[in-house]
Amino acid sequence: MTDMKGQLLFIFIFTTVWTVAVASNADTALVEHTSLERLTTLEAMRNPALHGLGYHTSFSQLALGIDVQHQSQAFVPEKGSGYILPYLGVSTFHPLSRRSTVWGEASYMTGRQRDVRWNSTSDYDLLQPYVLADTLGGDTRRERYSISGGYATSINHWRLGTEILVRAEQEYRGHDPRMRGIVTDLTVRLGGGYELKQYRLGAAVEGNIYKQTNSVAFYREEGVIPEYQMTGLGTQYSRFSGDKRSLYYDGGGLAVTLHASPVDRSGLYVDIQLDEHRYHRKLAEYNSMPLTDLYNERAVATIGWRRGQDHDLAVYGHIDYSRRTGNEHIGGTSDARYFPVIACLTMYKSHVLETYAGALYGRGGWHINMTGGYWEVNEQYVYPHRQMDAGHVYGRLQGQCFIRPSDKWLLTVNAQASYHASTGDKLQMPLANMDAAFISLIDHKHQFLSANYTDLGAMVRADFALKQSRYGLFAEVGGGMTLCSVGEHQTAFHSSIGITF
Amino acid sequence: MKQSIILFSLLIALAMLFTACAPVEDDIFTTARITVSGEGDVPITSVQAQAKLTNVNTRQVITTADFEGTSATVELLRGAYQIDIEGVATCPSGNSAVRMRQFRCQSDYVEFVQHGVNEVTLKTIFLD
Repeated sequence: MTDMKGQLLFIFIFTTVWTVAVASNADTALVEHTSLERLTTLEAMRNPALHGLGYHTSFSQLALGIDVQHQSQAFVPEKGSGYILPYLGVSTFHPLSRRSTVWGEASYMTGRQRDVRWNSTSDYDLLQPYVLADTLGGDTRRERYSISGGYATSINHWRLGTEILVRAEQEYRGHDPRMRGIVTDLTVRLGGGYELKQYRLGAAVEGNIYKQTNSVAFYREEGVIPEYQMTGLGTQYSRFSGDKRSLYYDGGGLAVTLHASPVDRSGLYVDIQLDEHRYHRKLAEYNSMPLTDLYNERAVATIGWRRGQDHDLAVYGHIDYSRRTGNEHIGGTSDARYFPVIACLTMYKSHVLETYAGALYGRGGWHINMTGGYWEVNEQYVYPHRQMDAGHVYGRLQGQCFIRPSDKWLLTVNAQASYHASTGDKLQMPLANMDAAFISLIDHKHQFLSANYTDLGAMVRADFALKQSRYGLFAEVGGGMTLCSVGEHQTAFHSSIGITF
Repeated sequence: MKQSIILFSLLIALAMLFTACAPVEDDIFTTARITVSGEGDVPITSVQAQAKLTNVNTRQVITTADFEGTSATVELLRGAYQIDIEGVATCPSGNSAVRMRQFRCQSDYVEFVQHGVNEVTLKTIFLD
């Protein structure tokens, strides 16, 4: 019996090692396009000229999937306590010749966002804190269409590329308060690259135009509640809050990316990104009176060293600094629903700094990536002074393994674990002058901002190659759990099926 | 030559980005000097009063009773204000005699947005 167990154990270990070894030699498009090793080239892909050089193989995928998330209590009330978002998407990357490449994506997503509170505006991450908000909230429906396409080509040592990304999204609620946000978002990228001796240099410029019309309606007159024009850290623009529920956001920005990396992918590489986006909130019902201007500025730098021959090895350092500056327009006296702007004051300031160092190691069939970092946020409202700060240190371990049980099948297993530990926090609020509802909001946000988080996740994907065909079928399923030290948790589930070609 | 073109392009791109930086207006406070003057030709030498300034946009209320003569000076957030003043004014009534008269002043809209000192004079309404 003991011998039998020993033999089974030997067979299991041998089979595992053999399948990993086989997969490591497999030069499939899927492996190239989904390998964890690509983490070190992701930032360069924002330059369309370099995106075209991203892969050697053609890979396309049509997927029907669903993303589900549930939080026992909303970590960020403005983003809701979870979602159910089915989607249908197609993506392709196709080298046309040795010189030219095209790529593109199109997707449709629809679903439900659960229990969104203190936010009646779409794209919270982009526009916060300048959103329309109420205390009631509720589930919202979301629908998103996105399409993008790019082309890159080589002319001697030069590399040129362009990419267009379009997103149209609407979010609405079918019961009071009936919020509606309709978003159009257009991004155009132009990039260039040049091979200078053994190095590839790249630079790209990105322009963005953003618009959102946003309104809230109440069908039951007795159920009308105030809509607040939020201005940060629980403050609101009192004069235009209450029954002013129709506004729009007008914005856009510029970004520049710079890149340098060795042509043979072995050596030092550097990526720098600088972004500046601005979003103007205007009251539609008062002749487009500007209420607030939000300026989002971001600087990101990555420097690393990698070697990519029989073993992939990379070490890297990354720093990401972003700053939000919010200006409030001071409305003068009205004249036939026209409010002149008599002054503009900078009242909201927020800084987020994230820095981490990491190492990636692996071979064709498996990779491990470890990162350790620090993250802090400093948010303040200038007068009356309000401040909320928090910091975290974190460690993250990611692993990926390709297993080929037979010629037809390829399994991809991804797993990750991370732990975020709070390093301290600070909260200053004029509590005596705040409404109870706003105090509750700030308490909630502060509690979750300064908590510790443990995160675990895994995903398995099975690809099946159809006989004598370039088509394949795939199915993937994944899940994750995040435990928060305040006693709440988040569960996530992802599943999709589709065709690769 | 090629390097020069690359460098020039990068400099143009960086210049575009940095000239687009956020316009920051950190000078958010100003000084308001509010002066009370007598209704009609009635002279006032001093007042004892409480002034209440309500920011029209934020609804924030500032009060002061620190009048020197007929004027009070307040540091406040730049913006538009509603002003209410209630108190007692000292009015000379000839032969070195003075008369104490109750008054109030009110303005629905005053702009205090200039840097430096913003001056406003409000006429009293005598209540006696």
